[in-house]
Amino acid sequence: MDIEETTQPDGHQEDLISDSMLPGKGHDYKNLGDRIAALVLQQRVHPYAWLVTFGIGFLLLNVMLMSITYLLYKGIGIFGVNVPAGWGLDIINFVWWIGIGHAGTLISAILLLLKQRWRSSINRFAEAMTLFAVACAGIYPLLHTGRPWNAYWLLPLGPNILGLWPQFRSPLLWDVFAVSTYATVSALFWYVGLIPDLAMLRDKTTSKPLKVIFGLGALGWRGASRHWARYETAYMVLAGISAPLVLSVHTIVSFDFAVGIVPGWHTTIFPPYFVAGAVYAGFAMVLTVGIPIRAWYGLKDMITMTHIDWMAKIMLTTGLIVFYGYILEIFFGWYSGDKYEWAMILNRFRGPYWLTYWALLTCNGIIPQLLWSAKVRRNLVAVFLISQTVSIGMWLERFVIIPVSLHRDYIPSSWGYYTPSFWDWSMFIGTMGFFIVLMFGFMRVLPIINMFEMKELLFGIKHKHGNDVPDRDRTHTIEVTPPVDEHHD
Amino acid sequence: MDINPKRPLDARTFRAKLEGQSGKQYWRSLEELADTPEFREFLFDEVPQHTRSFDIQGMDRRRFLTLAGASLALAGLSGCRWLPAKKVVPAAEQSEDRVISIANIYATSVIEHGLATGVWVTSNEGRPTRIEGNPEHPASLGSNSSTVQATLLDLYDPDRSQTVSNLGSISNWPAFLETMRSALAETKDGTGLRILTETVTSPTLTHQIKALLAKYPGAKWHQYEPCGRDNVVNGAKAAFGQPVNTLYDFSKADRILSLDADFLLSMPGHIRYSRDFAVKRRVRSEEISAEQPKKLEMSRFYMVESCPSITGTMADHRLPLRASQVEALARAVAGALGVDAGAAALPAGVPQPWFDAMIADLKTANGASIVLTGDHQPPAVHVLCHAINAALGNVGKTVNYTDPVESQPVDQLASLRQLVDDHKIDGAVKILLILGGNPVYNAPVDLEFGHLLDTTRLTAHLSMHEDETSARCQWHLPEAHALEAWSDARAYDGTLSIVQPLIAPLYEGAHSTLELVSALTGPMPNSYDLVYDYWTAQKPAPDFEKWWQKSLHDGVIKNSAFPTKAFPLNPAAAKATVTPAIDDKGLELLLLPDPTVRDGRFANNGWMQELPKPLTKLTWDNAALMSQATAEKLGLAPSIGGLTVADEKVVEFVIGGRKLKIPVLALPGHPDDAVTIHLGYGRTHVGKIGTGTGFNGYLLCTTAAPYFAGGMKATNTGDTYPLAHTRSHHSMEGRDILMEGTLAEFLLHPEFAKTEATTTPEIPVDDKQIEPAESGKGKRLSLYDAQDHEYKTDENAFAYSWGLSIDNNVCIGCNACVTACQNENNIPIVGKDQVQRGREMHWIRIDRYYRGPISNPHTFFEPVTCMHCENAPCEPVCPVAATVHSMEGLNQMVYNRCVGTRYCSNNCPYKVRRFNFYKYTAGQPDPDKLNGNNDSLVLQLLSNPDVTVRGRGVMEKCSYCVQRINHARTTAKKEGRAIKDGEVVTACQQSCPTQAIVFGDIADKTTLVSKLKALPTDYTMLGELNTRPRTSYLARLRNPNPNIEADVKNGPDTPVVE
Repeated sequence: MDIEETTQPDGHQEDLISDSMLPGKGHDYKNLGDRIAALVLQQRVHPYAWLVTFGIGFLLLNVMLMSITYLLYKGIGIFGVNVPAGWGLDIINFVWWIGIGHAGTLISAILLLLKQRWRSSINRFAEAMTLFAVACAGIYPLLHTGRPWNAYWLLPLGPNILGLWPQFRSPLLWDVFAVSTYATVSALFWYVGLIPDLAMLRDKTTSKPLKVIFGLGALGWRGASRHWARYETAYMVLAGISAPLVLSVHTIVSFDFAVGIVPGWHTTIFPPYFVAGAVYAGFAMVLTVGIPIRAWYGLKDMITMTHIDWMAKIMLTTGLIVFYGYILEIFFGWYSGDKYEWAMILNRFRGPYWLTYWALLTCNGIIPQLLWSAKVRRNLVAVFLISQTVSIGMWLERFVIIPVSLHRDYIPSSWGYYTPSFWDWSMFIGTMGFFIVLMFGFMRVLPIINMFEMKELLFGIKHKHGNDVPDRDRTHTIEVTPPVDEHHD
Repeated sequence: MDINPKRPLDARTFRAKLEGQSGKQYWRSLEELADTPEFREFLFDEVPQHTRSFDIQGMDRRRFLTLAGASLALAGLSGCRWLPAKKVVPAAEQSEDRVISIANIYATSVIEHGLATGVWVTSNEGRPTRIEGNPEHPASLGSNSSTVQATLLDLYDPDRSQTVSNLGSISNWPAFLETMRSALAETKDGTGLRILTETVTSPTLTHQIKALLAKYPGAKWHQYEPCGRDNVVNGAKAAFGQPVNTLYDFSKADRILSLDADFLLSMPGHIRYSRDFAVKRRVRSEEISAEQPKKLEMSRFYMVESCPSITGTMADHRLPLRASQVEALARAVAGALGVDAGAAALPAGVPQPWFDAMIADLKTANGASIVLTGDHQPPAVHVLCHAINAALGNVGKTVNYTDPVESQPVDQLASLRQLVDDHKIDGAVKILLILGGNPVYNAPVDLEFGHLLDTTRLTAHLSMHEDETSARCQWHLPEAHALEAWSDARAYDGTLSIVQPLIAPLYEGAHSTLELVSALTGPMPNSYDLVYDYWTAQKPAPDFEKWWQKSLHDGVIKNSAFPTKAFPLNPAAAKATVTPAIDDKGLELLLLPDPTVRDGRFANNGWMQELPKPLTKLTWDNAALMSQATAEKLGLAPSIGGLTVADEKVVEFVIGGRKLKIPVLALPGHPDDAVTIHLGYGRTHVGKIGTGTGFNGYLLCTTAAPYFAGGMKATNTGDTYPLAHTRSHHSMEGRDILMEGTLAEFLLHPEFAKTEATTTPEIPVDDKQIEPAESGKGKRLSLYDAQDHEYKTDENAFAYSWGLSIDNNVCIGCNACVTACQNENNIPIVGKDQVQRGREMHWIRIDRYYRGPISNPHTFFEPVTCMHCENAPCEPVCPVAATVHSMEGLNQMVYNRCVGTRYCSNNCPYKVRRFNFYKYTAGQPDPDKLNGNNDSLVLQLLSNPDVTVRGRGVMEKCSYCVQRINHARTTAKKEGRAIKDGEVVTACQQSCPTQAIVFGDIADKTTLVSKLKALPTDYTMLGELNTRPRTSYLARLRNPNPNIEADVKNGPDTPVVE
């Protein structure tokens, strides 16, 4: 299937739809809905792999809870941070998790605005991933402080409550706003997108309690045209709000560093390079989660090789931006003529952490170049492994930026060394458990693929080929109205 | 509870007692009346907190219930404690001189190695909280050293012994005194009684000991302390036929040659010597300017040393030389100066041109030079130095002789050996009373001092801790701290001081040496009476009371220093006194007192343990120091840079069949083929702090070679041991962080220190035209308006701008400021583990940099405080505004507001911020179990009430001693005036022996600090970052000999010996 051809706009505004997004014959609206809904309504379909993964996640979640308990009891000293390296795995993981979330928002908001219909099969779980990654990330800025119980002082509760505003010049405060806005909008966006599907589940289920629960979630959705019209408006508005967030959140996170005067931090390239890095890491995570799910639940015709291919292409693109950033950092270090900057670059090359730097370049710069090959992009094992590499690489990137910059800055007498402690790792692994529990829990209670959008996609494909028979389908799925192709309006 | 039935009470005893009494004497019971040891024992057992612990495991139910019931009943009686009958002043009305929250300051002295250093001790509501130098005292002149200040922590050491113990069981003073007196009575004339003290200069104590010896003529008094001055005494005896005290006047010395003398840190009088030394090093001529360079004088200092010391870092020319080679050099110097010292070849390692130029230079000084040697160098070197000083015409000018300050100057090692030998030969020692000191730990091993204790009939040890010696003695007696008892002592120049206590003994069982010696012949006295009575007898004048009060008030007895005397030098001594050559095969071992824990007496002192050693920056341990080349020759590759936690190779050293395993550290500038081991570590009976720290160098110390010996072998054990450094990096990486140059360079370019990197950048002319300056400063470095902090407003008439100037040229890196800051600002210690993790808390640190070849580099010190930047990078990044700029330009840390994001620390280019990763302040941490698991109420007494104690999760840093500024402000406001220059003295400034630190108002151009900042050598650290720091530095200057300089290929400085 020629992607180039299908994605070419043919003169007037049209959804970018290709057969490859929903391959195979014999798809009909009912079948599509039932297959996705079955993951929620027929719990037996969940494979053994789900249990094992969830079990591991649950164990790790407990590791996280234990680590948090010990942290609160003992103090931040249980981590490996010190002076000069005041931040370590805590902030690395925060940035890493926040970055991972970005793919979800990009897929749901920006691809929606760009009418990339292929997003339909992956947007739901990517959005969920965003939320869960933000939840994991959110743990860190709170708990990395010396006195987490006072963290609410960062909120602008103002003179009436605290007698003092926070300090608005601090990037950490901007973080508070950026991340909380991001979490709120992402949650809203995700939930609004779920409403028609919740209604469908409400109508499909035979269990009374589930009917009530889904019914409450569906907010009285009846599939009326008015509902659809409002839904579309709301969804587009939220997408409009979300889209800049994709750029702003990681930009602001990058300010945590760029505003500082630490060599290795103080650079204007950070905002775009962080955003690209976030999308890069995000798509790596979508693939990491998507590839097994697709196999375990037989969703190969929904999350298709085309999806994998395209996501790999996005990874390649953003990876190149990031790689460009790395090269420019070296260039700036040299071109600035600033001895501290250049010493920082040399320290990355051959300082005590040289291994992490070269590993970063290998993981993020070299290995993903394999994706230039269509063969590799369509090889699931290869894509899966490259995604892992990118995840590791993006983690290393934050390691190189944070402790490696901090451990040797201006005054050689204060140079130090940062070694993550046991609890640093346990917290990190623990948040992975938290993420797995949330992700796999979500898979059992909510549809991981957007049911109505898939139907819409099917409608689009059929419509495109002129063999659309919408009426027949409507009789079967009275509760869901595949929308009229509003874009022709 | 029956009393010991062995000795029934009888009516005769009572009657005899009552007959001796007159007036109102009450007695509570017949037993008390009898006042027998049994009664005292019985009485003692009644005091609940001293009861021996019961073995609960082995107790039956009935016994347990009995005790439980009794405890309950007795609990009700706990209010009935005797209060001391004496001197209780009920404060129904507050007396005028005691205002709560206003500290009182008393003058007293701290005694180290018998020598007094005059101090002022701050007392807050009766708690001594701070030790500062007494400006009137010649040994301190108001400055201080780390160890003097650290004695305060010893006072509150929770591990201090609190009760008398006998064979490990709790006992009491009456029981001990009874035992002692009866044993003494048995000896009749005291034969067999030996008293072992440390060095004694106290007239009262000497008087008491002499009185004891007069009463028991068979008794003998021995003195011993390790790292003592035997060589000085023996050298003086050889040169002058009698012990003399040598005083140096560095403030008059134009040329100094130190033959292995660490006179800035280790010698008696070193605080004063540092001050005097700085006088001749300081180049602070205000009139010098870039336009008119003027010839300036500066002393020239040659140093030859066997182990790099802070003194060596100050040298203009420094040569590493093994300790055993120094004598040959001294002989050559003497010979070159016309002393008949016998032939001596110049030792290998001293280049002939270097030597010739140095000799020529010494000769030009014309009686204004000093040649001196260290206490560990053999008597022959001391004799040679005496002869050299005489030949150079220094005697009476820069080198003065007086009578010895010790009451009985003896060869202490010989004195100790005699004690041991007497016992070995005929068991002559029956009763051994050890007053202070710790000979089991620190006597040369071949004496087997512990064996002496084991075989002596009665042994007792008075000391502040139950240490190694206490463990081998039958009796341990808790000693009162110097701040708890009266005494007196002489300073290094003989100046007398009365030592007055600041607090009653924290533990009732503690008594001073003075009291104990006196109690042997009479009732247990009060140390006040002893000292007072002694001086009443000495000064029977009508105005004695006035004299006494004045002496106490001043902390020093005026004009009591020994007068300078001329001692005839034996001209043959220089040639006649020769030290036999040592085994030159293998490695040479040098044993020196540790720069922080000294001879081991500060091993349980957290401040001293965590104080980075000036050169190695090592904490909590000692190591075998050697040169990089020697280490490589031995097949070791010890790290000299790299990580904060360095796992160093453990090497087993063998000398004379004695072995010691110790990690090796390469120390740049250490002479080759030699190993220095600092003493004072590896103690076995010490408190929580000292346990498990370091390795015991005394195990290699013998009477034959107490300081250095040859023929040591080393084998790599293959093990490693982690050492905790506060810093790991040696080089400045080519950055202009510490500016240094030679005097010649300075005269040519007075502003050599002001480089692009050390000054706030100027704006390009174009920008100025485009963007006219708004703030009047003519600079526009940023898009934002400059924060110019115009402090002076109508409302704020006395607008101060506080600033600090640190003179690197006279900073000797002695660490006094670090301890002062720790004391003043309630800075906790964190333990070895935390130092390894890079979490030490010192608010002021002394950076050390090397330049030049690793075999003999230049070493520089630079103390770093918070810079209080005008454009502080820490301020804008704090999300909760916990660090803010004050109206006086201070960068303030608001502890209560801090949530602990550590962003400020990350963004501080100077890395001066310190974070409470755990609850460090809960008390003195057990190095193994940190985090306030062992809160110590005793240690809380130490806290300075003017400074907040910081909790867990809070950032902290140097505040420029804001509490002191506020004190001065209160005083000034009450008097309706501005704060005067010099009125605010920061703790670091106050303690600095060389007055390298000056604090004051930089807005006022007439203050000293402003004048210093106006000097051409003034520079700011990382000025190019536009942080505009308030702390600035004066560049380090060296004054190398041009004749030596010309000879050297490796740069314009010290020759490289390779």
